[in-house]
Amino acid sequence: MKLLVVEDEALLRHHLNSRLGESGHVVEAVANAEEALYQAEQFHFDLAIIDLGLPGMSGLELIGRLRSQAKAFPILILTARGNWQDKVEGLAAGADDYLVKPFQFEELEARLNALLRRSSGFTQSTIAAGPLVLDLNRKQATLDEQPLALTAYEYRILEYLMRHHQQVVAKERLMEQLYPGDEERDPNVIEVLVGRLRRKLEGEHGFKPIDTVRGLGYLFTERCR
Amino acid sequence: MIRSLRVRLMLAAAVLALLFMLALLPALQKAFGLALQESIEQRLASDVTTLISAARIEHGRLQMPELLPDERFNLPYTGLLGYIFDRDGQLVWRSRATADQNINYQPRYDGRGNEFARIHQSDGEEFFVYDVEIKLLGGQSAAYSIVALQPVREYKQTLAGLREKLYLGFGAALLALMALLWAGLTWGLRSLRRLSRELDEVESGARDGLSAEHPRELLRLTGSLNRLLRSEREQRQRYRDSLGDLAHSLKTPLAVLQGVGENLQQRTGEREQARVLQSQVERMSQQIDYQLQRASLRKSGLVRHRVQLRPVLESLCSTLDKVYRDKRVEVMLDVSAQAEVPMEQGALLELLGNLLENAYRLSLGLIRVSLQETPGQLTLCVEDDGPGVPADQRERILERGERLDRQHPGQGIGLAVVKDIVDSYDAALSLEDSPLGGAAFRLTFHLE
Repeated sequence: MKLLVVEDEALLRHHLNSRLGESGHVVEAVANAEEALYQAEQFHFDLAIIDLGLPGMSGLELIGRLRSQAKAFPILILTARGNWQDKVEGLAAGADDYLVKPFQFEELEARLNALLRRSSGFTQSTIAAGPLVLDLNRKQATLDEQPLALTAYEYRILEYLMRHHQQVVAKERLMEQLYPGDEERDPNVIEVLVGRLRRKLEGEHGFKPIDTVRGLGYLFTERCR
Repeated sequence: MIRSLRVRLMLAAAVLALLFMLALLPALQKAFGLALQESIEQRLASDVTTLISAARIEHGRLQMPELLPDERFNLPYTGLLGYIFDRDGQLVWRSRATADQNINYQPRYDGRGNEFARIHQSDGEEFFVYDVEIKLLGGQSAAYSIVALQPVREYKQTLAGLREKLYLGFGAALLALMALLWAGLTWGLRSLRRLSRELDEVESGARDGLSAEHPRELLRLTGSLNRLLRSEREQRQRYRDSLGDLAHSLKTPLAVLQGVGENLQQRTGEREQARVLQSQVERMSQQIDYQLQRASLRKSGLVRHRVQLRPVLESLCSTLDKVYRDKRVEVMLDVSAQAEVPMEQGALLELLGNLLENAYRLSLGLIRVSLQETPGQLTLCVEDDGPGVPADQRERILERGERLDRQHPGQGIGLAVVKDIVDSYDAALSLEDSPLGGAAFRLTFHLE
């Protein structure tokens, strides 16, 4: 998943960036609201983590701006003061959950996953499509109850497609899931990865859930639950 | 001790007016009495002159006409009496009106001319006497005392009438003065009443400060009060802001340390160190949270806040509904739309936020918030259908900093903050079983 982290404290930003990266997310970490607005304008994000105590434009204002720009991704706020005034204001402005600093990374991750599941319409921690089951917590796919050996990139593409099942997903969007920021992107990489993913899913039973929509992108055809 | 300013002023004015009138009354009576006596003296003098002009000396004897030009001398009971004595004090003539009078008066012919006096009779009657000694009459030498008398009775009656009128007049004046004073005080004290009304509004939080539309004499007071109010408000705001800054500047580094601890924990051999680090970070963070919240939620001094309960509950529930969206908790609000609690907005938000979050976290799906008002008491109750709290642990859970359930992070200081807020508002917090099946936190305010 592609996450936007807005935190002014460099060390914490770095920590979040690296830990979330380790968990298989693509992270764009910025230090202030202005940069965050720019990023949100330029790229698609699945979730944002926003510190309320930002210098300059506050976190609350940033949330309000994002929502007024019709950005619907879930927002998790980080607040230093554990007071309810901040929480109520933050959620009223459009955030979806809060976490009081300091926090354990596991708790942050649990909240993130809950928000991501919720935003894609899945309230369980697994997504199933026919014989294919994705365990979102363990980042593990199983086909006919047999674990599927996927690389991290393959898993990310599969999860993204399944979360957006029965929708056409552009290659660009998939690339954003793999590479943070303005890194050099090669659309061929996606084709290669999707090709490998298809072969692994097809296996012995000929399961073919991913279609190519020419000129537009890919479509996960199976209904996911 | 008289408490009312109006009654004090009225009383002082009444006493002052009475003293003034009591001093004025005899002076007025005396002055009037003197003036009256003087006019009586003049009348008697002119009456004597009438007698003198009527008298003639014939053959060395005094001759008086049968009828005198002044009718009052001729008729009885007119009160005007005329006598003429010779130099030896022998009565030589008396006017007709004296017929049934027996006046005991003995003039002294001593050459002193005119004399005005007041004489007492043995029967208690008093007379004014005007006594003129003459030496010549119609060009002939004749020594007579010509005397005119008038009873004092009339004079006294006039004086008594005057006194009566004075008393009545002064009484009426006193009443009118009091009525005017009452009206004036009502007008004057109206500004004080307005001031107290505005103070009520300030205390109830309906207005920020006192208006500038007060009399000059009160402006100094209202100005000082406004400055005090403003400085208290600003100080609280500053206090809150700097506490927020302090929280941010302390807890963000703690979040970094927490991250470092987590990184350490991933390396074998340093697990124990990392665990110590993390538990200390957690402790520091809890202490910071607790102390900062405590400091910022002190009850304010002057302003007696009242907050509508329902909007606070609704904003908290919409927040928590969002956070616990998957749980689909149903909240029953048994609180009327106008119900108020005697607390400050911020403190109420923290108090209810902590209680409600507990309820949301522990409930199976049903929460009830109710407010009951009985005479002198207001009871706010937050109940859930969760597992509840065993009776033997209830006291401990209300103690500060106590953590009953370590699996649910965030519970640590929540109840401690609740307890502190409750204490600072002199309310009482109890923990009981709810008919819903879970815990019931009951908050009781004593109303003044």
